[in-house]
Order: sequence, then structure tokens, then C-alpha cells
Amino acid sequence: MKALLLRMFILRMLALAPILALLSTSLSAAESKLPSGGLSVTKPSTSISLGSEAMAKWARSCALCHITGEANAPVIGDTLEWQQRLQKGEAALLNNVVNGINSMPPLGYCMSCEAADFRVMIDYMAGVK
Amino acid sequence: MRKISRRSFLASSVKAALFSGVGGFAVKGGASAESVSWSNWSGGQTCQPAGRYDIGSEEHLSSLLKKTSGAIRPVGSSHSFSPLVPTDGHLIVIDRLSGILEYDSETKQATIGAGSRLGDLGDPLAAIGQGMVNLPDIDRQTVAGAIATGTHGTGVALQALSACVASLRLVTPGGEVMDIDATNPDLLHAARVNVGALGIVTQVTMQNRESYKLKKREWAAPTEDILENFDELAASHRHFEIFPLVYSDYSLVLSIDETDEPIGQIEIEAVPSDDASIAESLGLSDNPTPAERRRMSNATASRIQATESVDVSHKILSNVRNSRFNEMEYSVAAEVGAECLREILKTIYDEKIDVQFVLEYRYVGADQDWLSMSYGEHSHATISIHRMASEDYRPYFDRIEPIFWKYGGRPHWGKVHSLTHKELSGLYPRFNDFMELRQELDPHGRMLNPHLRALFNA
Repeated sequence: MKALLLRMFILRMLALAPILALLSTSLSAAESKLPSGGLSVTKPSTSISLGSEAMAKWARSCALCHITGEANAPVIGDTLEWQQRLQKGEAALLNNVVNGINSMPPLGYCMSCEAADFRVMIDYMAGVK
Repeated sequence: MRKISRRSFLASSVKAALFSGVGGFAVKGGASAESVSWSNWSGGQTCQPAGRYDIGSEEHLSSLLKKTSGAIRPVGSSHSFSPLVPTDGHLIVIDRLSGILEYDSETKQATIGAGSRLGDLGDPLAAIGQGMVNLPDIDRQTVAGAIATGTHGTGVALQALSACVASLRLVTPGGEVMDIDATNPDLLHAARVNVGALGIVTQVTMQNRESYKLKKREWAAPTEDILENFDELAASHRHFEIFPLVYSDYSLVLSIDETDEPIGQIEIEAVPSDDASIAESLGLSDNPTPAERRRMSNATASRIQATESVDVSHKILSNVRNSRFNEMEYSVAAEVGAECLREILKTIYDEKIDVQFVLEYRYVGADQDWLSMSYGEHSHATISIHRMASEDYRPYFDRIEPIFWKYGGRPHWGKVHSLTHKELSGLYPRFNDFMELRQELDPHGRMLNPHLRALFNA
């Protein structure tokens, strides 16, 4: 029991440590880059396309994590992973985006996005029409 | 007929089945089915704005502000824990004002769109041979937001980001465009740390330096050993800070220095392998007392081995924080910093405050920006306390905040605090000057929300 308690304590402490204690976390920059005067994004693996305005919003926000899978974000085009999310239903999925879930902050860093934008972006990343 | 793949068909079918019958969605505080509320990064601040203005250019912003008269608040990455943003008016979104607009290879200055995220600037700046002098721990903030809140990194000889602003362009609440630089030093010192109260910053020219590499070393050490030599350690490293563990005699220690060594990292397993034997020796109970927690923390911390890594500056200075939290941070004079920290740690221990999150203790260089938490002639110590976003931070923060006040602490504008103009005017020598300037630039108070009204007695 004591060993279990200690293990739980250590695991809790070490699980927090990378984030809370600032240990061994190094910046893994998102794929989005800002070259001089503009912004480009690594072409994602999906057959669905976004309009230019939505694409720009997506590149400035969602792309930060959904290209690399940072913070366990489902990667764009990973249909299996996205299907698991879609099973929650659209309302729940949109609420998660708006209010944040786990590591994803509210609005997913897209401060100009409205509900319609998020719907389109979810479709885009899930590869689903 | 357009052919679709089997995979695409299946996916479409799944989605159609799952989403059929779903009519709209409810969002927190939503005014209508399609209107989304705003929340900050931690979720601790929320509002339902009347609308959002997605600014495409400085001209667009200027024209908009001239044509409208309602309440507005600028929003960057929403990383402030304090209620700087919430409004029932309109949010001004500056995401699209981003990128490196121009740069000077001789002076190492770069003019940057104010909506650029700090973390998006590292690589393009390196590509033109430049690096920012310092960076905060989290780099998802926009340049405008980081500067407006006095956000800083670590280093006794390194000032907050705002002090590296050589010039900036501000669109006043009335739509007037102002170029502010060192030819008017008072205005520049006021406009850098502006708390989003003077107007909307559209671009800043940062004084950078040549690109560089840094070597980071992390280890654990007894807190008192470090505090006794903190001044010397801070002076001997470009960056030096500690993360004191609560209920522990130990801190995690971080030093960072310039290097020419090749990029790389050494990772060492930090988990003790013989925890069962440690548990026996510690004599743990189901509900550990503070003393037992201290023994556990010490036993664990003493086994954390040093790690080292080398990389380009922006990849060493900032980190991705995957768990969201709320934070309170105050600066105090460096000479009383250790005493203040000790009192906080003792209070947590004595009052059995149920918190596991580490504290953060570091020095920041002095500057002359009116609302900078390091304003003055001497460097300051800054102390941060944190609480996971899923937990109520108020009881913990409410208990610790008076300790900061006791040591003359100045709050970080982007982090939780409860001070108003009554206290603030005594902490910042130029605070009343800033209030006068704010009144002059925003006579109708369209940039004020309840929080800013309390700050500026407006």
C-alpha cells in the first residue's frame, strides 16, 4: 500500500513535472511558419479544401497543434482518430472547441472564429464532408 | 458523376449518421445558437461579446474606429489570466496583423505585425540572422499582448519584452494613427506596457540581436542552498531561476547560457526504480501529513538528475505547456525576494494548503516603462504561484496575495490580482501619469471594461 501510494505520488509529481515543474519540455514549434511578411503552412494530408479565409484562420490557430499532434491533438487527416471525436456528436464537439478541452484552449486560439468556421475546420481536419 | 473513395464514403456515412438530427449547439453564455462566447486560455475568464471585428489591416482598423463608438477590447491569444479582455462590446481580433514587415540587418531591428505569435517568430527571425533578446516561458502570446501586459522572461540583466520595443504604431480609440518612438521617450515608456488601454497596437519594431544558441541545464537542489547564493548565481548565468517544490526542501533549478556547442539534448531517467524500498523507509500513511509529504518530495527530488540541452535561443527559452492553469505573479524588490518566497512556502506548509504546483522564482532586469513591474533603477524578483485550470484558484491565491502586498509587490498585468488604482498608484511612480494619458487618448472610455475601470479609476 505504501509502495503504491509512493508510486502514485511520484507518478503524479512526474506527470506534472514536465508541465508544472518545467522539466524536460522543449519547444516543438508548430509547422506553421511566419516567413518575412507572411505565413505559410505545411500542406496537410487531407482531401478536403478550405476557402482561403478559413484556411488562413486555420493556419493561424488549429494548425499550431493539429499538424504535429502536439498535446495529443488529433492530426489532420487521421480519420480513425477523428472518427472517435465525431462520435461525441457535433454539439459536444463544438462545445469542446468553444470552451476548451484537455490541453486545447477555448476557441483553439482562433479568436475571430464563429461556430460556422469551427464546423468547416472540423470537417477539414477530419477529412469528412 | 464524381467518384469518391470507399474511405471517404464511409467517413461521410459515419458523420451523417452521427450528426443527423443535431440542431445547433449550446455554448457557455451563448446569446444565440450560433454565437460563441469568449474564454481565456485557462477558461477562468469568459464573456459574451456583442461581436468580433477581424482586423485585416491598419487602415481597416482606423476606419472602423472612426466610424464606430461602442465599447471595444483588443484580444490576442487570450493568455491573460486577469480580466483584461471581457466585454459586452466588440472584440478587436488582430491575428491577421502578423509577420515580419521589414528588418534592418545593421541595427538588428525588425518591424513585426502586432498580432504575430511569439512562437511563430523564432524561425523567420533566425532566417534573417536575428533572435529576440529574451522570451517568456510560454510563447503562444501575440507580440501586442505580451508587451501590453509587461510579460517578461528570466535574467537579472535582461528586461521585459516591452523594453526591447524601439517603436510602435498605435491606433487610438478615435482611429488616429500614432507612431511612437524614442524621440518622445515619455510616450514610448507609457505606450509599451499599455494594458490595452490606450488604443490598438498594430506593429512594433523590436530591438533584437544576432541569432544565437543557448545551453540549458536543469537539476534539483535544496532551496535554501540556492537562495543563499541566488544573487551570485543569477549574475553568473544569462538566465537563472528556480521552481520551488511545495512541501519540500528542494527546488528545480534552471540555468541558461550562450554557447557554441552543437545542438542536442541529454535525457536521463528521473524516476527512482526502487520506490518500494523508499516507501518502507518513509513509513507513508494513507493521508500523508505535511511532514510526510515533505519526506516524499525530498526523496523524489533528490533523485532527479541533471539534464542539459543545446538549441537555438527561441527553442530553449520557451516551452509548450500542455496543461492549462491559472497564475498569480508579483514582483518585489530583489533584496526581499527570498524572504517573501520563504513566507509563501511556509504558509502553504503550515496551513496545509492542498496544492502541488511548483512556484517560480527569478530576477528580471529594471526598466523605465511606466507600468512595468520592474520599473525603477534595480532589478526585481518575481514570484509566481499556480493552480490547475480545473481547480478553483481563488482560496489559494486569496491567501497568498497579501504576502506579496506585505513586501510591496507589483502585480503582473496579465495574471490574477485584485488591486485597484488605490493601491496601484502607490506602487508605480508614474501610475497617475498613465491615467492622465489614458484619459487623453480615450476620453469616452470605449476601451474600458469593468476591470480596467477599477484599475484606472475611470
